[in-house]
Amino acid sequence: MDERAGIGMTAESNRLEHPGLDKAAGEEFLREAFQVLLDEAVRRGTDVTEKVCDWKEPQELRELLDLELRSGGEPPERLLERCRDVIRYSVKTCHPRFFNQLFSGLDHHALAGRMITEALNTSQYTYEIAPVFVLMEEVVLAKLRELVGWSSGDGIFSPGGSISNMYAMNVARFHRFPESRRKGSWALPRLALFTSRESHYSIQKGAAFLGIGTDNVHLVGTDERGKMIPEELEKEIQRAKAEGAEPFFVCATCGTTVLGAFDPLGSIADVCQRHGLWFHVDAAWGGSALLSSKHRHLLAGIERADSVAWNPHKMLTVGLQCSAFLLRDASGLLQRCHGAGAMYLFQTDKFYDVTYDTGDKTPQCGRRVDCLKLWLLWKAAGTEGLARRVERAFAFTRYLAEEVKRRDGFQLVLEPEFINLCFWFVPPSLRGREGSPDYWPRLGKVAPAIKERMMKKGSMMVGYQPHGAKVNFFRQIVTNPAVTKDDLDFFLDEIERLGRDL
Amino acid sequence: MLQKKKNAVLVDGVILNGPIMDSKAGEKFVEEACKIIMEEVIRKADDVTEKVCEWRAPEALKQILDLEMRDTGESHQKLLQLCRDVIQYSVKTSHPRFFNQLYAGIDYSSLVARFITEALNPSVYTYEVSPVFLLVEEAVIKKMIEFIGWEEGDGIFNPGGSVSNMYAMNLARYKFCPEIKEKGLSGLPRLVLFTSEECHYSMKKAASFLGIGTENVYFIKTDERMAANMVVKCGRLRNENQCIKRDVKYSGSAPFLVCATAGTTVLGAFDPLDKIADICEKHGLWLHVDGLLKKCYSAKAAYLFQQDKFYDVSYDTGDKSIQCSRRPDAFKFWLMWKALGTTGLEERVNRALALARYLVEEIKKREGFQLILEPEYANVCFWYIPPSLRQMEDGPEFWQKLHQIAPIIKERMMKKGSMMLGYQPHQGKVNFFRQVVISPQVSREDMDFLLDEIELLAKDL
Repeated sequence: MDERAGIGMTAESNRLEHPGLDKAAGEEFLREAFQVLLDEAVRRGTDVTEKVCDWKEPQELRELLDLELRSGGEPPERLLERCRDVIRYSVKTCHPRFFNQLFSGLDHHALAGRMITEALNTSQYTYEIAPVFVLMEEVVLAKLRELVGWSSGDGIFSPGGSISNMYAMNVARFHRFPESRRKGSWALPRLALFTSRESHYSIQKGAAFLGIGTDNVHLVGTDERGKMIPEELEKEIQRAKAEGAEPFFVCATCGTTVLGAFDPLGSIADVCQRHGLWFHVDAAWGGSALLSSKHRHLLAGIERADSVAWNPHKMLTVGLQCSAFLLRDASGLLQRCHGAGAMYLFQTDKFYDVTYDTGDKTPQCGRRVDCLKLWLLWKAAGTEGLARRVERAFAFTRYLAEEVKRRDGFQLVLEPEFINLCFWFVPPSLRGREGSPDYWPRLGKVAPAIKERMMKKGSMMVGYQPHGAKVNFFRQIVTNPAVTKDDLDFFLDEIERLGRDL
Repeated sequence: MLQKKKNAVLVDGVILNGPIMDSKAGEKFVEEACKIIMEEVIRKADDVTEKVCEWRAPEALKQILDLEMRDTGESHQKLLQLCRDVIQYSVKTSHPRFFNQLYAGIDYSSLVARFITEALNPSVYTYEVSPVFLLVEEAVIKKMIEFIGWEEGDGIFNPGGSVSNMYAMNLARYKFCPEIKEKGLSGLPRLVLFTSEECHYSMKKAASFLGIGTENVYFIKTDERMAANMVVKCGRLRNENQCIKRDVKYSGSAPFLVCATAGTTVLGAFDPLDKIADICEKHGLWLHVDGLLKKCYSAKAAYLFQQDKFYDVSYDTGDKSIQCSRRPDAFKFWLMWKALGTTGLEERVNRALALARYLVEEIKKREGFQLILEPEYANVCFWYIPPSLRQMEDGPEFWQKLHQIAPIIKERMMKKGSMMLGYQPHQGKVNFFRQVVISPQVSREDMDFLLDEIELLAKDL
């Protein structure tokens, strides 16, 4: 086998007269790979009769994949085999029984959008390089802002909700202390920021990353439903002030990661207003509820926020990543906070209106085009179509909650407000033994055992975690529009089957 | 669209029995969209008779593209037309005459990997959810570390070089004073870092984002070769510095990081790394990596990084990152490496540099073209002096007029759609072109075309 007979090489590639690529071979490879992708990742990946995952231990998988990068290339047939292997051993997040994360499923229009994005391969920083996408991003962000309740504003797509939350923190700091951009935080008083105990861990990571310090993240108490208690927020702010710290930022969460709780935005907005604090809403998970007229009340008061993070890649099945950072300010605060005016990229003497070069608003330089997949999905489904999907997810959760209540051995952790369904499965051996001292520790071992069994069987995937004082419970999430009632019935049946003898 | 069966289960007015999506229609759409991609993007990728860009001014493009997001969905055919429109008016970054940025071209194996990634839609935080991609990332990082020359090390793939630079800054800061993670910067000495004046602007953005402050980034002067020289600056600051201890009051500043650049954005210069390393070692500004990445970033979220999983959780490397969900960016590189082998990749790099060298020789031969400096890498920087300016005396008027030439040529090339090339002013020099060769599609004739086309477009200037 000629080691150099890969699709990237031609005999003449050492000479500059000819291109350094074998186009015909490359296109043939692409065609065949596309067929493999369509058959095995898209068709089989969404087929309930196929496995969700083909579990292998790390060491075994390493050997199977033959990961080593060698000096010689490989022929197309071998590469296609590799593509098959990668697909085979990857978890099918589009499978109707993949419930493990806050994202799942596959929307074909969004997928087409993602593939066009990859083929065009451009960066989103200037109009000259990405004319269509610069205009499109603005239209998409405006639509999202409209749903939040703002008729104007600013924003940008970022590489994930964690980073959107960090942008909020940074803009808030800059807004309060404009000199912090130049001088840094060492010259500032000790800042204090507030978020609930149930908030996403990106707030901690953000505080560390931005030089604020995780000690200065004040975790506010929540009620039994996981919602921030505004009176506690007020207390924390007072306490921070008394300690000589300078409160500047409050992050409310709409759709907490584990319980799916929504903080009471109206009351929190009041507190922020009273103290002059930046009010950010992390709606990365719950933001999509704004699409439904039935359920948007969960985010009542969101229009009072200064900034919002919203991840369509979660509930709207758009594909990772798609995280919108939205800002109510329309004065160019984002640009002033992040802009560096690099002269090799944002020349001011271009022949078109350079206000269209929006890339300087972000700390990133090169940036992926994340708007096309959402835009194409929206064009295909319409706002109404998306609203129906959101409502369906809620309805599924309602159905499951009722089933959980009905069935023996299943116990709700709390009545779901959103689409996180949290419950314990109590195997027959433990039923009726709540009084015994080792009940909870033993119950805590059930979910991990069932998880192991379902993954080794490959029948489905659902997440579990301990939470506060509560031992491991399952967190069931349905966002995939391809899911049916049968899948949900299967879900509960399978847990019973797998956990019966524990 | 919704199936109505006899035993329809209705919850909150929503029928739950059948799926809400028409998969067959959806799959057909994906197939047809990919046909369009093949025809309009892939096949045409090396066709120099096609335009690099279909220029429209922003207001005009807004009219052409039906961007509005409505309440109801569009038909199958309309959606395919929208795809065609998006492609038509997008810049063809795989065109052999797209030289505008530090990326260009197309690689088939990488593209295949990217398509597979999109179809699988994984997130690379835990082994349970993305077993393959985590192991692939580990293998790629290991290989890259080998190339750097370290015996061991760590790493992670990020959303861009700007973010990678932020990671470096944050890690250096954490190494210098681990308490900063919890306590923040307030009240600490003024942390300062050094980089060259040619560095990428992400250093400034990183300094401000991380709370260090852009004022505390010291830009070291670059010599004629535009490479860094830091001895004086570093020494002066060191004299002011005192020990960092939490309970000791001190003044002065604390240097904690040096960022050297290997391949600056505009000129493609390489800082003298060995000399810089010597200085860093001498002043204790060196960063060793040993479990640092994990310690620095870890938040140990219990809902994601459960410790009681049934597999070895040291494979759940996602906690090393500031991100939560994360794309498997190593995979496209891995598949391309498998396709080409290290030898093939090396040849690509050599080819790009050979083309750059060819261009340089041509520039020297042709009247009106003036090289800014002899390139060290793949960036070829030059002025084009149109006939009307060639006899003019060197002076402010000459330079002011020359400054206006590149933008006009750029406008003309974009409106014609024949090629795209970047220009910028830099370090006191008026607008000059920056040509970068990256794409394996590019050949000698494209270099000749580049110079011919500039001459053609600037004939009357």
